[in-house]
Amino acid sequence: MIPDRIIEQGTLRARGGRAAVEVRLPWYRALPASCIAAAKLTIDGAQAPAESLRWEMNGEEFTFADMKTNTAQWWFPTDSAVLSGDLAVDAGEHEVRVDLELYIPYIIIADDQVLHIEEHDTKTMSVRQDEEAYA
Amino acid sequence: MTAEQGTPIQGVTLYSFTRAFHAREYDLDQLIRKTATEGFGPGLEIIGFSSFRGFPEIDDHFAGRFSDLIDEVGLVRTSLAVNADIGLRPDKLMDQDELIAYMRRQIAAAAKLGFPIARVQISLTPDSMEALAPIAEEYGVTLALEVHADQYASHPRILALRDRYEQLGSPFLGFTMDWGATVSGFAPSLIEAYRRRGASEELLAAVVALWDEYYEQGPPADQADHGQRFGRFIGLGHQYGRPDLGIDFGINGTGLFGPARVDDWLEIMPWVRHAHGKFFGIDENGQEPSVPVSDLITLLVTNGYSGAVSSEYEGWHWNHWQSPFEIIRAEQAIQRTAAESAGSRMITDAAEARRAIDAHLSHAVRA
Repeated sequence: MIPDRIIEQGTLRARGGRAAVEVRLPWYRALPASCIAAAKLTIDGAQAPAESLRWEMNGEEFTFADMKTNTAQWWFPTDSAVLSGDLAVDAGEHEVRVDLELYIPYIIIADDQVLHIEEHDTKTMSVRQDEEAYA
Repeated sequence: MTAEQGTPIQGVTLYSFTRAFHAREYDLDQLIRKTATEGFGPGLEIIGFSSFRGFPEIDDHFAGRFSDLIDEVGLVRTSLAVNADIGLRPDKLMDQDELIAYMRRQIAAAAKLGFPIARVQISLTPDSMEALAPIAEEYGVTLALEVHADQYASHPRILALRDRYEQLGSPFLGFTMDWGATVSGFAPSLIEAYRRRGASEELLAAVVALWDEYYEQGPPADQADHGQRFGRFIGLGHQYGRPDLGIDFGINGTGLFGPARVDDWLEIMPWVRHAHGKFFGIDENGQEPSVPVSDLITLLVTNGYSGAVSSEYEGWHWNHWQSPFEIIRAEQAIQRTAAESAGSRMITDAAEARRAIDAHLSHAVRA
């Protein structure tokens, strides 16, 4: 719907072999954690290993497995979440790509199936090397 | 047919301004104030899960502050759009009891926020609506199920709902008509957006021609027919070397631009409690080139409708080059002119709008 808004420009951070970027919901209404099915974080063509990915939202950090059954935490349309993963990033400019898979909980496309959308965004930005932990 | 002409209430849904809200250019209070200042009201519709953090939980302090703001700026709450999130857990869809409990919380939120109508959605079956009727009555909130493309008034699922309403005779059950079900062309602003994404003129002409073919045929007979149409839009993307655009053609060509005729609404007209004045853009002549806005207003007026029309601009999905505020202003001007041409007018005064909506929602449709 609004995939060009997924990556927040200028929010790439790196520390201790991990990279993080702020992401926005490409949809018009809040979705629960259970509907955030998966993500990919790719920097200069290198993809963070899936098991290393973490999602921070409402001040808490989750794995995608944690989120699968979580209907208590919601991603509000004006809030940034933080996607992070194991990726070494050198100083300077980088091409950041985020892929998101979301379920749209009110659109039922078959008896037992919910609409599933895939959106992605790519932006180029400088990295900020953090001394502080961002988790 | 009602002998007396209707006076529909002018208004807007904040959904029209999604791009500005999402970009943090306006927060909720600022958008409400802007709506009032620009004269886009008096009717105001809001989507619960878009605008209220923590929805459907609404605390007393927030509800009080919200009410004070609405009164201060002189708007009139019409509909709170709520969602039947059957797939809240995509791996385990809600059963009927879970769904009713989930909807109850949102109906309670509508009441607490002072909205007389809750817009509900097609995934609610006649049985669900029957189960929700006493809850709607308990809270004094009318449930207006949205008839949205790819459905339309005479679609079998909608007629099944209408027949159940007729049988139940509850004054708290009805429909929201969404004008996107009765569109007359593929929106030119979306064609322009595809052009800006590098689609060839041949491909764009083929997309428009395919949509026109479906318009000639009328809306899809059933979900299988709908699926087939969706598939042919995807096919055009492949055929013209732009497979990346195919699904988008399908979603918009079938789900936004419904090809039913305006008089199809007569099938459910007595049960229409709310309207989404869905539209997609305004051309250089100040006209909406793909939605028959004037015909739709005329239909409402001649059928005695004095409920709200929420102008619902949906072109923001793709149109990032024009102001949604200017576009809303232009569409509402078309509505007012059409109502006057039909021998009536749109209600733009808040006090009159409050009285009209009370009267509009007070009577049951009896079989």
